[in-house]
Amino acid sequence: MPRLTIDNQEVEVPAGATVLDAARQLGIDIPTLCHMPGMPPATSCMVCVVKVNDKPRLAPSCALKAEDGMRIQSQCDEVLEARRVALELLLAEHVGDCMGPCQLICPAGMNIPLMIRQIRAGGLEDASVTVKRHIALPAVLGRVCHAPCEKGCRRAQADAAVSICLLKRFVADTDLAREQPYLPVRQATTGKKVAIVGAGPTGASAAWHLLQEGHAVTIIDEQGRPGGMLHKIDAGQLAPDVIRAEMDLIVRLGAEFRLGCRVGADVTLDELCRDYDAVLLAVGEASPSAGDLAQKAGLAPQQGKPAVRLAVDRRTFRTSLAGVFAAGGATRAGKHAVLAVADGQAAACAIGQFLAGADVTGPVKPFNVSLGKLLEGEITAFMSSADPAARTQTQPHQPLSPAQARDESARCLHCDCRKADSCRLRQFSGQYGAKPARYRNRQVAFCQRTDHPRLVYESGKCIACGICIRIVEQAGQSPGLCFTGRGFGVTVSIPFNGTIEEAVGGLADQLVSACPTAAWAYRD
Amino acid sequence: MSELDLTFVDEAVSRIGKSGQHVIALLQAIQEHYRYLPEPALRRLCQISDITPAAVAGVSTFYTQFRHKPVGQHMIRVCHGTACHIKGAQAISDAIKTALKIPDGDDTDPDKLFTLEKIACLGCCTLAPVVQIDEVIYGHLTGETVPRMLRDFLESRSAPAKRRARRAVSMTDGELPEVRIGLGSCCQARGSGRVFQAVEQALADNDIQAVVKRVGCVGMCHQTPLVEVVVPGKPSALYAQVKPEDAPDIALRHLQPRTWPARAYHAANRLLESLLTDDAWTPPDRYALDTREQVVTDFLGRQRHIASEHCGVLDPLDLDEYQRRDGLAGLTKAVNTMTPGQIIQEIEHSGLRGRGGAGFTTGRKWQAVADAPGDDKYIVCNCDEGDPGAFMDRMLMESYPFRVLEGMLIAAHAVGARRGYLYIRAEYPLAVQRVREALGKLRAKGLLAGEAGTPGLLDLRIMEGAGAFVCGEETALLASIEGKRGMPRFRPPFPAQSGLWGKPTLVNNVETYALVPWILRNGAEAFAAMGTAGSKGTKVFALAGKIVRGGLIEVPMGVTLHQVVHEIGGGVPNGKKLKAVQVGGPSGGCVPAELAHIAVDYDALTSVGAIMGSGGLVVLDEDDCMVDIARYFLSFTQDQSCGKCTFCRVGTRAMLDILDRLCAGQGREGDIEQLEDLAQKVKKGSLCGLGGTAPNPVISTLRYFRHEYEAHLQGRCPAGRCKALIRYRITDDCIGCTKCAQQCPTGAIAMKPHEVHEINQEMCVRCGGCRNICPVNSVVVE
Repeated sequence: MPRLTIDNQEVEVPAGATVLDAARQLGIDIPTLCHMPGMPPATSCMVCVVKVNDKPRLAPSCALKAEDGMRIQSQCDEVLEARRVALELLLAEHVGDCMGPCQLICPAGMNIPLMIRQIRAGGLEDASVTVKRHIALPAVLGRVCHAPCEKGCRRAQADAAVSICLLKRFVADTDLAREQPYLPVRQATTGKKVAIVGAGPTGASAAWHLLQEGHAVTIIDEQGRPGGMLHKIDAGQLAPDVIRAEMDLIVRLGAEFRLGCRVGADVTLDELCRDYDAVLLAVGEASPSAGDLAQKAGLAPQQGKPAVRLAVDRRTFRTSLAGVFAAGGATRAGKHAVLAVADGQAAACAIGQFLAGADVTGPVKPFNVSLGKLLEGEITAFMSSADPAARTQTQPHQPLSPAQARDESARCLHCDCRKADSCRLRQFSGQYGAKPARYRNRQVAFCQRTDHPRLVYESGKCIACGICIRIVEQAGQSPGLCFTGRGFGVTVSIPFNGTIEEAVGGLADQLVSACPTAAWAYRD
Repeated sequence: MSELDLTFVDEAVSRIGKSGQHVIALLQAIQEHYRYLPEPALRRLCQISDITPAAVAGVSTFYTQFRHKPVGQHMIRVCHGTACHIKGAQAISDAIKTALKIPDGDDTDPDKLFTLEKIACLGCCTLAPVVQIDEVIYGHLTGETVPRMLRDFLESRSAPAKRRARRAVSMTDGELPEVRIGLGSCCQARGSGRVFQAVEQALADNDIQAVVKRVGCVGMCHQTPLVEVVVPGKPSALYAQVKPEDAPDIALRHLQPRTWPARAYHAANRLLESLLTDDAWTPPDRYALDTREQVVTDFLGRQRHIASEHCGVLDPLDLDEYQRRDGLAGLTKAVNTMTPGQIIQEIEHSGLRGRGGAGFTTGRKWQAVADAPGDDKYIVCNCDEGDPGAFMDRMLMESYPFRVLEGMLIAAHAVGARRGYLYIRAEYPLAVQRVREALGKLRAKGLLAGEAGTPGLLDLRIMEGAGAFVCGEETALLASIEGKRGMPRFRPPFPAQSGLWGKPTLVNNVETYALVPWILRNGAEAFAAMGTAGSKGTKVFALAGKIVRGGLIEVPMGVTLHQVVHEIGGGVPNGKKLKAVQVGGPSGGCVPAELAHIAVDYDALTSVGAIMGSGGLVVLDEDDCMVDIARYFLSFTQDQSCGKCTFCRVGTRAMLDILDRLCAGQGREGDIEQLEDLAQKVKKGSLCGLGGTAPNPVISTLRYFRHEYEAHLQGRCPAGRCKALIRYRITDDCIGCTKCAQQCPTGAIAMKPHEVHEINQEMCVRCGGCRNICPVNSVVVE
């Protein structure tokens, strides 16, 4: 039984155990991508490297047998840096986006491709969940959003963008027409109370997210009805009923509205600070309230800006007063409703952190690799799995019919990663602070194969770990899979140009779950 | 598509074998037969053998030898080894493409006559730049001589084979004079085969009794073809750069015709000829090999021939002669008078370290294999000399096959191995042929087990590589013998514990084995008396590049690089200044001229950022750009990476991206620092020696020539080498001879007789042809 030390902790392991086994026995976290328990080590990804007895060369812990008296360092800077570089090198050749360009550009970060797949599959209730995870007022935005997502939509490079905004409206309207529209589950109550000043889209959005986290929310507005600046929009485009319907849902989720109540007159900011654990000022642009509040509470106006705009930290939404946050039109230029909704969501996150006593950082941007500008001919590869039909034409302010929505949803190219939440390359890249652009010099074109009823294979996401090859080989599948080529050009291939269905047989589920990236993924 | 006759596949399988281990040999046979790998043949192979489609697809796309599409009638292989690179291999490739009108993006001419292929290294570095067409090697090419080469090749194909002169030689050879002619690959490339025939013809015509003998490499590759005439009782005479037409005069100057009539006839003839022709015969440069001539003294004086003992004397395949000159004495002593333990101890005491590159103590390796449990052990000779710029092992196999095999027999006896392989790279057909013949002779003598199962000390077989540099890495080499893609694996376990098919395996390099018989015969002390504290004995080097006397040399450890370059090699030609010596090929580094005083010694070379490596020494002068050299080596290793581990597969690629940018004048702020950082990461994190040493050329040039990198970042190439950073201009010295315009492959120079010519910069491809041909040096690089 060899005894060794890893990061100065002694451990005894059974003979034949690897250093990786030993580290795991100690609860030390070593990342692995190509390692597959029960199979001989592949030593391909090299993200599991460790330093052995101070030798200059690092060794893959998955293959290194534990020996008596070994001294291993698994968390020193040299090792962590090497792992980061290994991940960055894998990302340098990664052909794919973690998030589709539409989602990336959406200020609220809505998972648009997922919503579209759910519409396509007829799962409109699932689609509501997807939409409302980020957007509190989708029926409203479905009518008034300026749809930056459609400007980012890759389909526009082939013909015209997918009609994302109307699809979202379709999902939201369908939901509102139900007897029981979707309401998210609220976490157990935290006992914390938040006052939100302003019942416009920013305040409503913040309330929607804070309520879900289990906080109590009171929304205060000097107007007699919630909605704020939304009421300034032409009723032909946005009927007041729609605003009310979505605001009602926020009430049903548990928000308390104090309408017709003016901060500064009916209640002071000091009082709010005293009675609530946090205050969010979401009073909207050019509101006289902002100026008043700023003066009365001694909040600093932004340098060189009209006094009506409040100075905040753009990441954390904190004002100069402890526990007082500000977001939305009161803090910056830009009137778009979606920006207000996005601000509310982000401010809720910061307030949640504050209430939990955690570091207030605001929302952490998820790790993302972007394909960037497409290479020549690449759009054709994307189009291969999409309906070539033209974009559905509608009259201004008119919704999509259910049939139109289903047709339009077939136009999506699904640029996003199907395994964005389970991809280990993404997980470790985020964890190790990898910068995908560091060594990027993309020459390999996007490629997807769908010659299998349930699978999609994207060679550009393969990290050449060979796990799929070994699974197929072990099962004795013929013709199976193999590596072809050498060096940078090495690829997983099917001998004699077979189809994926022939190559993988009944092993599809195993492949998808074992593949550390989204090279092998389910189509839907 | 017409139906392909697949009976050959069936034949090949029944002849070679049907198990997975034989896949490479089977693919080689199929390719030789069909000239490429037709898919129906591969499908048939899978049908009738145990080889899976995955194995066929994987293996046939891993090794560069295999082709999946039909090729032209003849293969043109342009060597892109180090020496060829610095002497303009790219320009040769371009000139061939132009001459044959091969379209861009294609490799075969429209008439399907020639297919052009780039090859890592033909190992004929002293002839650089070198091209091989089918089996014929052409050396010292320039852009202008390319069309002549193609014509010569086609003419030699159409000419009927000359009948060889037949003559009877009395069988008392020992007393007869000898005419020795070097017939290694390089010598043959320079026409020694034709000289050999001409000498035989001359002897037959004049009825002279003498032995015409092929001998191995003398190492003086810069002087080939070499002919040595040895008359008993007289000093021998060595002729350099001999042409076939010189043969009669050389023969008659030293050798007596047997009969009076012939003598008289000859004398008359000679008189007649000199009367009829004005120009009397100007003999080729003539030296005596016994080092009385200065140039030979310089070249040979510091050398010490152990691995290449009796160089220029031994007939490579004459086993009797080998034995007369102490051959097999080491083996006899080992087998008859020593225990395996004593042999290993002797090797250990000699201080011998592996000559393949890493320099591991040979005795310790043997001990590890001997100590490994089990009776089933293997011995392997790593003959996969793939470093561009190295051809030592090729020469040893071609010239001294018996010595290599004797070393293996001794080693096998010491470690207890009963079976083994020589893994020889495919680019060395003559080496394969000679080793195969030598194996046959040793089998006939009963020393080696026969293929049919006759007994012997050892069952040895040849495995031909299929074109993958990474197979020089021992674990990759073993995988390749097993019929797999040549992917290295993590060590430990080392092959000594778990090698071929999981059995303990001794893997040594050709030169290491070739030194063993001498050590056994002369004793460990004699060997250890040569060299330095940490590096004993001799080392064979391939000396090439910008050097007056390139060739193969064997020197005692401890001589300095300065001595090698200036004394043995005669310095840098054309009055240029030595800039650096590249030692150790793609795993090694560049030792700058100011450090040339360091000794040839494992540890000393490592301390200056190079490695002993397998022994390539490429001399660089002031015209060589160090960033370009780094880029050259990295593009080689990047191309040869097996693709298994991230650092090598993608890391070398990312490094190459940066170097490409620098050489293209598109460097970015921070590129040098990023390159440096990445080089360290790739070195640290790669799985095997290929990736682990791939950054060395970059690290060492950054260490000594950082200013050149910085100049590239600012858009300058100080050596005037990187095409994107230079332009050619014709000065007013131009005499209007139009040679440059005729030379220019792209028509960038308009023909204007008697006027100063001009270069159209848009069309110029910066091949340098105009500069080379200008008689008045009016083409300048800026």
